[in-house]
Amino acid sequence: MAEQHWKENPKGFWAVSATPLLWTLLFFLVPMSFVWLYSFGSNVGLTEIEISGTLDNYKRATEWLYVSIFLKSLAVAALVTVICLVVGFPVAMALTFASEKWRPWLLLGIMLPFWTNLLIRTYALMMLLGTQGYANKTLGWLWDGASWLKVFFGMQPLPTWEPVQLLYNNFAVVLGLVYVHLPFMVLPLYSALDRLDKSLIEASLDLGAGHLRTLMKVVMPLAMPGVIAGVMITLIPALGAYLTPDLMGGTDSQMIANVIERQFKRANDWPFGAALSFVLIYAMFILIALQSLRKPRRGEAK
Amino acid sequence: MIALFNRTPRAPLEYTRTLWMRLWVGSVLVFLYAPLLVLMIFSFNDSKRNVVWRGFTTKYYEKALNNDTLVEALVNSLTIAGLATVFSLVLGAMTAVMLWRFKFRLKGIVDGTISLPIIVPEICLGVAMLIFFAWVDWPTDLIWPLNLSAITIAHITFCFPFVTMVVRARLASFNKEEEEAAKDLGASEWQAFRDVLLPHMRPALVAGSLLAFTLSLDDFVITFFTAGPDTITFPVKVYSMVRFSVTPEVNAASTLLIVLTVVLTAIALKIQGTRNLTVSHA
Amino acid sequence: MSKLDLTGSRLGRRSLLQGMGVAAIGITVTGLGACTKEAGETASTGEEAKLNFYNWDTYIGETTLDDFKDAAGISVKMDLFDSNDVLFAKFRAGNPGYDVIVPSNDFVERMIQAGMLAELDHAQIPNLKNVDPGFIDVDYDPGRKFSMPYTWLTLGIGYRKSKVPTPPDSWKVLFDSDEYKGRIAVLSEAGDMFRLHAKYMGKSVNEITPDDIKAIEAMMIKQKPFIKKFHEDDGQDLLLKGDVDLVLEYNGDIAQAMVEDDDIGFVIPKEGSQLNSDNLCIPRDAPHPKNAHAFINYLLDAEAGKKITETILYPTPNAAAKALMPEDYKSNPVIFPPADVLAKCEYAKFNPELQPLYEEAFTRVRAA
Repeated sequence: MAEQHWKENPKGFWAVSATPLLWTLLFFLVPMSFVWLYSFGSNVGLTEIEISGTLDNYKRATEWLYVSIFLKSLAVAALVTVICLVVGFPVAMALTFASEKWRPWLLLGIMLPFWTNLLIRTYALMMLLGTQGYANKTLGWLWDGASWLKVFFGMQPLPTWEPVQLLYNNFAVVLGLVYVHLPFMVLPLYSALDRLDKSLIEASLDLGAGHLRTLMKVVMPLAMPGVIAGVMITLIPALGAYLTPDLMGGTDSQMIANVIERQFKRANDWPFGAALSFVLIYAMFILIALQSLRKPRRGEAK
Repeated sequence: MIALFNRTPRAPLEYTRTLWMRLWVGSVLVFLYAPLLVLMIFSFNDSKRNVVWRGFTTKYYEKALNNDTLVEALVNSLTIAGLATVFSLVLGAMTAVMLWRFKFRLKGIVDGTISLPIIVPEICLGVAMLIFFAWVDWPTDLIWPLNLSAITIAHITFCFPFVTMVVRARLASFNKEEEEAAKDLGASEWQAFRDVLLPHMRPALVAGSLLAFTLSLDDFVITFFTAGPDTITFPVKVYSMVRFSVTPEVNAASTLLIVLTVVLTAIALKIQGTRNLTVSHA
Repeated sequence: MSKLDLTGSRLGRRSLLQGMGVAAIGITVTGLGACTKEAGETASTGEEAKLNFYNWDTYIGETTLDDFKDAAGISVKMDLFDSNDVLFAKFRAGNPGYDVIVPSNDFVERMIQAGMLAELDHAQIPNLKNVDPGFIDVDYDPGRKFSMPYTWLTLGIGYRKSKVPTPPDSWKVLFDSDEYKGRIAVLSEAGDMFRLHAKYMGKSVNEITPDDIKAIEAMMIKQKPFIKKFHEDDGQDLLLKGDVDLVLEYNGDIAQAMVEDDDIGFVIPKEGSQLNSDNLCIPRDAPHPKNAHAFINYLLDAEAGKKITETILYPTPNAAAKALMPEDYKSNPVIFPPADVLAKCEYAKFNPELQPLYEEAFTRVRAA
């Protein structure tokens, strides 16, 4: 059955849509409209902003400097999303197939780390990864062990251990962002997969398809809406991350959110910060609106 | 991974009991918990800062429990997160049903607008909320918990679209024939919703509320810009320490919180039995 | 509506609200008004016995607020902010109800220009006499009309003695040399970075021209490969952890770190440096201005100042409090650098024209 036209069931439609629409209008669109107006304004003095309808802020925001930072951020966010998907999919499967008894514990086990403050968690992660950190100590210990073994068998020892640079570079930013955004991927996947029709998988296995083939041909398509939702709510927040690149990144790890943040804070240039934000918003808005329009109904589990 | 020692033979669908699956989930858990372990260890560190190990002490637990601001900040944060989760869940689920069920004009635009709070950079939304609440002259000297209203409203605004996303993905797998069958059997619109659609949405509601809770609990920027003089939250407390190093008191408080969560969950599962909390009825 | 005036009259705001058809919140807000707190007891100042203090966390003596309550009967509610930037940003929409705030010198200047601060009544702050005279007539607030000094700081180089054999007495090691490549962390604050580079080039921090910014930008891009991290004022932690061996940091932060690790040293380079100072101010429209004056006066008291200094170990401008401190604080050359070194340090004036240029140039440096 296709979607229902709202006029066929106006009572049902308004019952579910009145509150969210009003809320969005009042507590999102009205506040954001101020900032939107600012993006067409210019600073007069320290705190006054004159809404002059100028497009200068947008001109500046679309300069190559900022576009290139945006593209780089997008690449980092996309990489983080892919890693989260690869890492998170089996976890979501495990949640789906876990026994009734263990599932709440597994779910809690995945979520619990994220109820500890992000900053403290990031600091702890940095303690692990630093040049004198535990990760490097463990690696150094393994290295020394290997060196000792070689000597034991009468070979040349390995060269002395040099700590690996695990922190203050783009690798650290990606790792940190994966750490932060993993549940954003696991939860939608799990909710989409839960109660999937297990007879489908059994049938596939009975018909002689291997587990991997079954996974790709049967489970993946069923999980598709979850994958899309997971990608959306991982990619976009990762694009807006500012704390992880600030703390764990190196000298060239700034992301677009850091640049936007600085305009609202130190630079005290709200109109430009607003324009940068809205360039991001326009791009994403168009993407989502288009996807919603052309999307045929799909993923009906049969 | 937890049920590592079950001895019954494995059925083909018990993926959780295959070796590679356990190794994978186990490694993910190690990745997730290693920093937490460091954090807990450093809550016993005899130093004003969280940086180098200087010997064992439990004094920071005592300090954390006696620190009224810290306790107040935690209570505020949990209150806001609880309220924001409940409201986001209701709003998010309604929105998801609206977008999934109905066809209407400008649907693409409504869809895009509803998803916007996910896209807007935090600082931008924070500033927007700051201006908005100053503009409507929202009172800042209310009694607790009304003094948290501005923060809570802002949190609901950016949390509920996440719930919508998750619930919508779940609804995509709904078999509408079930609902129709129920209606054919004489169920009203509301009964069909309650007895057929809602149970189907349950895992997404659980996932969505976990997301909303996590997002709200961790938010700093938007909270900062909507906070009044007496609405300190845990993240605000922590971030304002950065300039002079975060003290192990915060680690101690976090450790206590983790232990408390585990204990409460265990009790809840014991009392209610696993059935109610588990998500599926399969 | 060509101008969006945030401080505009309430009447205008209300009618606009109704015009937009959202009068409902107006009513709700008024309704909520009935739930405001009951006015409590009255303090000796004639105001309700409360004070809203806006500060960094751990930036006060451990018992100071309780001591003040015992002394004056006023209970202080301390709320926290994490940087001058957000403090300023938050006050752009008006004072949300704070009585005393603690901005740094350049932000005192900014906030005075933006009309965010209330003038102080020196008659209510007799402890002003405790302040070192050198801190009274400062460029950023001549005659201390709007601010009282709380602490002061200077930027320099913190280093690990065992890894850096010769004390780094020039900005060259941080800004223009590959001697310690990959072991350096500098500040992420664009303005401070450009001003210190100007010092290295032998200029005053307040005489930077757009051409200088270009030259400094090129120097920064050249030096960038040798720098490990632009840190968020947590350089002392990086140094303690051993992630880097040289950091650009404030003397007070390094002094705190030296208490825990005696392998750490601090130098103010010979080219001179930049001074900073955190100040106590009363924002405009503060609900309890008299209590605020009493509180500021209390913080400038000798005994109270000593307790604060013991906790935060920053240089204090409170001469009477300093006199009460132990010798190893008073004669610590890191906390109180020699006069001839300090003579070459200056306060940075707030410059609204240059600030966006600094930011954009630094964004380019990071993107390079």
